[in-house]
Amino acid sequence: MTAPAQKTIEAPTFVGQSMPRKEDERLLKAQGSFVDDEGMHRMGYAHYVRSPYAHAKIVSVDTSKAEAMPGVIATLTGDEVKAMTEPLFQFAPRANGQQVVEYLLGVDVVRYQGEAVAVVMAETREVARDAAEAVEVVYEPLPVLIDGVAAAEPSAPVLHESLGDNIAWKGLFDWGDIDLALENADHVVKIDKLHFHRYSSTPIECNAVLVNWDPGTDMIRVVSNNQFPMFGALVIAPSMGVGIDQLDFVSQDIGGGFGIKINSYTHIGVLALLSRKAGRPVKWTEYRTEHHQSAGHGNERTFTDIEVPVTADGTILGFKMKAFDDAGAYLHYEPLGAVIWSQVVPGPYKLKHVQVDYTETLTNKCPAVPNRGYSRMQHIWFVERIVDIVAHELGFDPVELRKKNYVQPEDYPYTTPNGCIYDSGDLPTALDKVLEMIDYEAARERQKQAEGTGKRIGIGIGTTLDSGTNNFGQSRILNPELPFSGNGEACTAMLDLYGEIMLKLGTNPQGQGHETTAAQVAADILKVSPENIRVWAGFDKSHSTYIGFSGTYASQFAVTGINAVIGAVEKLKSEILIVAAAAFGVGVDDVELANGSARMKDNHEAEIPFIGIANMVFANNATLPHEIATSVSLTCRYVYVPKFEVPDTEKKYGNLTLTYATQTHAAVIELDEETGKVEILDYAIVDDCGKRINPMVVEGQVHGATAHGIGAALKETFEYDEDGQLLNSNFLYYHAATATDVPHLKTDHIESPSPFTGTGAKGMGEGGGAPVHTICAAIQDALSGTDAMVTDSHNPPERIWRMLHTPGERGVTVTSKTSDG
Amino acid sequence: MADPGASIQEIELTLNGEAVARTVSSRQLLIHFLRDELGLRGPKIGCDTGHCGACTVSYGGKTIKSCMMLAAQADGAEIETAESLASPGGDLSELQESFRANHALQCGYCTSGVLMSARFLLERNPSPSDEEVREGIRGNICRCTGYVNIVKAIGAIGREEVSA
Amino acid sequence: MLLAPVDYYRPDDLQGAISALGTPGARVLAGGQSLISILKLRAASVDLLVDISRLEELRGIDVADDGSVHIGAGVTYDEMATSGVLAGVHAKLCHVAAETVDAQVRNRGTFGGNLCHNDPINNFPPYVVALGATLHVRGPDGDRDIGADEFFTGYFTNSLKPGEILTGVTLPALARRGVGFQEVEIGEAAARAVAVIGIDNGTISSAQVALGCLPVPTRLPAVEEALVGSEPTAENVAAATATAGEGIDPVGDADASPEYRIAMAPVVAKRAVMEAIEEGGRHG
Repeated sequence: MTAPAQKTIEAPTFVGQSMPRKEDERLLKAQGSFVDDEGMHRMGYAHYVRSPYAHAKIVSVDTSKAEAMPGVIATLTGDEVKAMTEPLFQFAPRANGQQVVEYLLGVDVVRYQGEAVAVVMAETREVARDAAEAVEVVYEPLPVLIDGVAAAEPSAPVLHESLGDNIAWKGLFDWGDIDLALENADHVVKIDKLHFHRYSSTPIECNAVLVNWDPGTDMIRVVSNNQFPMFGALVIAPSMGVGIDQLDFVSQDIGGGFGIKINSYTHIGVLALLSRKAGRPVKWTEYRTEHHQSAGHGNERTFTDIEVPVTADGTILGFKMKAFDDAGAYLHYEPLGAVIWSQVVPGPYKLKHVQVDYTETLTNKCPAVPNRGYSRMQHIWFVERIVDIVAHELGFDPVELRKKNYVQPEDYPYTTPNGCIYDSGDLPTALDKVLEMIDYEAARERQKQAEGTGKRIGIGIGTTLDSGTNNFGQSRILNPELPFSGNGEACTAMLDLYGEIMLKLGTNPQGQGHETTAAQVAADILKVSPENIRVWAGFDKSHSTYIGFSGTYASQFAVTGINAVIGAVEKLKSEILIVAAAAFGVGVDDVELANGSARMKDNHEAEIPFIGIANMVFANNATLPHEIATSVSLTCRYVYVPKFEVPDTEKKYGNLTLTYATQTHAAVIELDEETGKVEILDYAIVDDCGKRINPMVVEGQVHGATAHGIGAALKETFEYDEDGQLLNSNFLYYHAATATDVPHLKTDHIESPSPFTGTGAKGMGEGGGAPVHTICAAIQDALSGTDAMVTDSHNPPERIWRMLHTPGERGVTVTSKTSDG
Repeated sequence: MADPGASIQEIELTLNGEAVARTVSSRQLLIHFLRDELGLRGPKIGCDTGHCGACTVSYGGKTIKSCMMLAAQADGAEIETAESLASPGGDLSELQESFRANHALQCGYCTSGVLMSARFLLERNPSPSDEEVREGIRGNICRCTGYVNIVKAIGAIGREEVSA
Repeated sequence: MLLAPVDYYRPDDLQGAISALGTPGARVLAGGQSLISILKLRAASVDLLVDISRLEELRGIDVADDGSVHIGAGVTYDEMATSGVLAGVHAKLCHVAAETVDAQVRNRGTFGGNLCHNDPINNFPPYVVALGATLHVRGPDGDRDIGADEFFTGYFTNSLKPGEILTGVTLPALARRGVGFQEVEIGEAAARAVAVIGIDNGTISSAQVALGCLPVPTRLPAVEEALVGSEPTAENVAAATATAGEGIDPVGDADASPEYRIAMAPVVAKRAVMEAIEEGGRHG
């Protein structure tokens, strides 16, 4: 790897501090501005008409009764949308051009319960809601398909005629020589099936859009909580036949995103069209039930035909398996998940031989969208399960087996079988630390004491990676024609007319504290206090501080966002020094920044505060040499571009991600044999995300990701009945983790700086789903001595109860070369 | 606008210490009245079924979920929202300071509701154990913090650890 | 979550409420923690909400000389939880009220509403059935009493006649009996049992055991018979409660299947009885 272009910050004062956040004052005083807090003059309210059927022909849509109701302003149907737009961009059409055809509203056929087929706009929320009920839609139900594996069979009902089958994408990933490894291994552990379930981070604020298509300027002003607005723009602009220059995105405070809010771009498009038709702005706020049915679910992945070769000394050589990812009814961002998992092919281990036969299918379910841990979590869960099962079946100690197979500290930077480069880490130390935190020996003792009492103690370990700053070139592995590669982020650092320092970011955070961490970094460079730096709250496209990758997602802000800040602020610093040097008549090397001023290095009395610098450039430029006055602007836009190459799409090989944060979790649980209920007695986490800019913010992300994982492991799931009706369509049956569900979390950290990021920091917000791996391992441990196998990522009481009381086929077989006497 | 099946109700209430008189539809929920009619931002909408607690306000000194009450039922009531917590001059209350010092909020969407529940809890139980805090905020779902720092921030008030 | 058009009326007294219930499509609104939710989900059609949440006639917790306690139907879970009066005679009921759902719901939800709504996940129906409580009702034709064993008639239904309002509940004195309340908490609960056990001279002298999470909270006569006269040991209780799941017909949902709920019945019954024995032992 080449040396990083970014400088490490010299003598940091604020970087590394757990500073309280700038954002907090307004949020605590209920002065934040979320979409529903905003309004536009003469705005109406929208309400969607949604399909109650999982799969049906739309025979007719009649809006006449709705339109006749007093207070109704306009309606829009799928047929209207089809007539005036193009189908939505698809990541990976087939070589022969076949692809899913989807418009901004449902047309001809609905394919999941809750799919929108029409929208109504009215003067009040109530009228919009009542009128939506008056829209008459006639459906002709079609056979429902909810099995993501069976969907690949030729006999399955076909959801998209344009495809002819339900295969969204299919490919073989093959590195090393797995067949040779299987032949030569001392043991082969075969596992029939593992399943990672469907769930979501369910942000408390649902999707929301306020949009006005201005008839005079033809500009579309969008106030929304979409977390990746530039991606959204790339998709909807061609569909609507508008230029991206017509789209204006603004957001300030966003109530959680976790990836789910990447997906709301269809609403932006539909509501923009509705606004244009009505000639007025329109606001839409999503209901919780709509959110669960249609906003987006995390990837559901089934792994079958799993074979794991292991040597006698416990070296796991690799694995072979088939993966089926259930993408739901439409491809929003998918099938990217089909390659994103390969950022972490061997998980945290040195597995060398891997073959994955990957099929992504379409079913009558809500579309899958990135959800905290996106696609890597599902894969690492799989890897952790097979490590755990191998330990269990072959009698290895789960701690020693992990340590043996881990990528070791001396191996970094470590190149994985498919060319990804793990930058840094210290997994063995993290594991030792986390076991100490739960007092592992005492927990094992406690486990012994509990035998026969009806309450089983289990101890579980989960190691995970949170890969960040991904190389979008990996999308070409799915479709070599895609014009995407690399990554990056933009920042503008400027002085305002009186020397005020302002930063504008291309990111739009949903609670990650960007205003604070960006200010910490900038403060160290400009030698001021973070209080003297105004960071623009939220995202505004009119700042021209964005590129195609701008947004907040995928564990990258600490790298892309922060490095963009550093680049922009360094530029601003150098311009300030240029102006100061010119003013003092000295060379640039003779001046420095201190205390909000530029001063001579050898005469601190000679100083110009930033207000003076700004004055010379903005209002007093005749006092500067002309070539200086025309070469500085004090408005410094910088785009950070990590060094990536386009991957080899043939071999599916290349560096797909810049950084790899790690988290190691350990849990002690108590499992009630009679009921199957699990209580967490002790929970510890060691995280390693390299250099931590604000440790308190980092720990907060660790806590939040852990709560999501614990919820998913024990309580949260999206399941459909055989008619494709979602059983968990709001918080009545989707049991989001509460304060009594999440135990106290003990945390500690290691800092293994990344050699690739300049600052040494790594992105880490997603977390990697370690609690799911950990709790599954703990349950497996608690059930040792029985035949029960933990093969699902979601283990509510009834599932565990059945494992104990009515176990089915184990689904695991071991073939060993030599039989020990 | 005419709304057959519903009636117009005249209500008078005290909101954050100020007298308010309005007419509301009999079918309007209190949360919508507070946000859409009175322009408050504190109480928020996060779910359909009264589970998330983002709408929590104080009604007659006790916390309630304002999405689970009709606006008409606010007649004659004393209601306080998160907007009442800071001083009139804009200084954060001790509880709010503790939230800030302990990073007990991230996106801030649940925070107004959590603060109201925390205040009610501390009024009843000035030095709650961590378990009692968790039980006290069980009616407020947060998806960002994992509750760890919220419990710490509330407990700090109980242990008088926060310096304003 | 927006309500369909519905009218609202708040009477000044109980009689006014009873009269208002004569309007077609009228329904009582107490704490609203169940009814408002139903209206938001549009799971029921109501034309007129009659707000009884401020009626003084429905308030109060009063202990009689014989140790029985009358709880007004409009008393909130929070009032029950913090009532020193109630704690003195039915401590377990206070405890159960204090743990119901969450603080905000407890501040509004009423004892009477919980009973009348008869959602299988509600706490108090099996409680009053296990105790053999008496429910007091007033309607257009005057007052009447209904035994807890007759009050609950099915999912979300009770034996109130049109126009009738539950005014309060009398719980018999516990004497020195202990009460156990156990559940399997999935969602709110997938299985629940309440047991009231009396012990004399080291033998179980009385046993009342009721299952909740059912359309009608159900006493378990076979279990009760097996318990009475036996020594209060873990083995005896396990044997006596083993049949608790027989003959019940719970409906499954996203949280748990019928099979699981049936299997949990003996588990919660056993645990409730053991808890009642321990509680009673403290007084005994």
